[in-house]
Amino acid sequence: MNEQDRQKRRALVVLQVVIYGYLALMIAIQLHLWAQRDW
Amino acid sequence: MTTTQLAGAGAGGGTIGLDDHAEESRDAQRRADRWLIGGTILMGTAVLGIFGLPLFLKGLSLQRQAQRSGLSVRPIIVTLIGYMVMLDAALNTFGWAIDLFANHTLVSRLFLPTWGNMFDAGYFWHYNELAVGGTSAPGEKAWEVVGVFVVFPMRIAACIGLLQMKRWGHQWMILTCWTGVIMWVGYVANMTVYADIRFTGVVFPVIGWWLYDIFYITPFVSLPYLHTVNREIFTD
Repeated sequence: MNEQDRQKRRALVVLQVVIYGYLALMIAIQLHLWAQRDW
Repeated sequence: MTTTQLAGAGAGGGTIGLDDHAEESRDAQRRADRWLIGGTILMGTAVLGIFGLPLFLKGLSLQRQAQRSGLSVRPIIVTLIGYMVMLDAALNTFGWAIDLFANHTLVSRLFLPTWGNMFDAGYFWHYNELAVGGTSAPGEKAWEVVGVFVVFPMRIAACIGLLQMKRWGHQWMILTCWTGVIMWVGYVANMTVYADIRFTGVVFPVIGWWLYDIFYITPFVSLPYLHTVNREIFTD
């Protein structure tokens, strides 16, 4: 694997962390609201 | 007839010509695609999804058999990504198109507020009460317009190109999968900001919606594969 491939792989890992982190954050906010507001 | 011979390349083993191998591969691919396309169309209608799944699985099994017997067919992972992303687009197009254009029909008034009552009150709260009709949730109509007119037609075209193993299909698939990131980030932000409207009084708030919709992340789950696959397997 050359340097370019390694960088690409790292960027894709960062993307995954950011995107799934964002989704998890949104779920957490919605669950928090649900607990507070008695939907 | 070609002079090139392939040993043990056909389904039955033995020695066959290159042309025979190509023809046998093409037939096997077509046979599998017939089942896969039939299954995807049925699943894409949402309400007939349960009938489409067995057809799709039969097609997948044919595809796997052809690959294992040494025929030159499309890789399973490309097949799965292509059809799953197409299904994502078809399902969303079906639901959003009827909400946008046919919101006073019986099927819309039955299907969408029922979904709204269970998981997402954006499709229940003041349904059909605004000038445009259909959902009244803030921002939802704008997502429908961008999805039905831009993102999903482009996505279905990209899937067809990818399934034909074309280079443009691979490139457009990457593009449409990145639009999947945009759609998810924006849509989920909208759901959270207007959570009081979307989840008040529904049968399964929050968890129900996520369990039902999480499968639509297929486009951006595919991104790492699409960015790392050897692009030489796609032809110009």
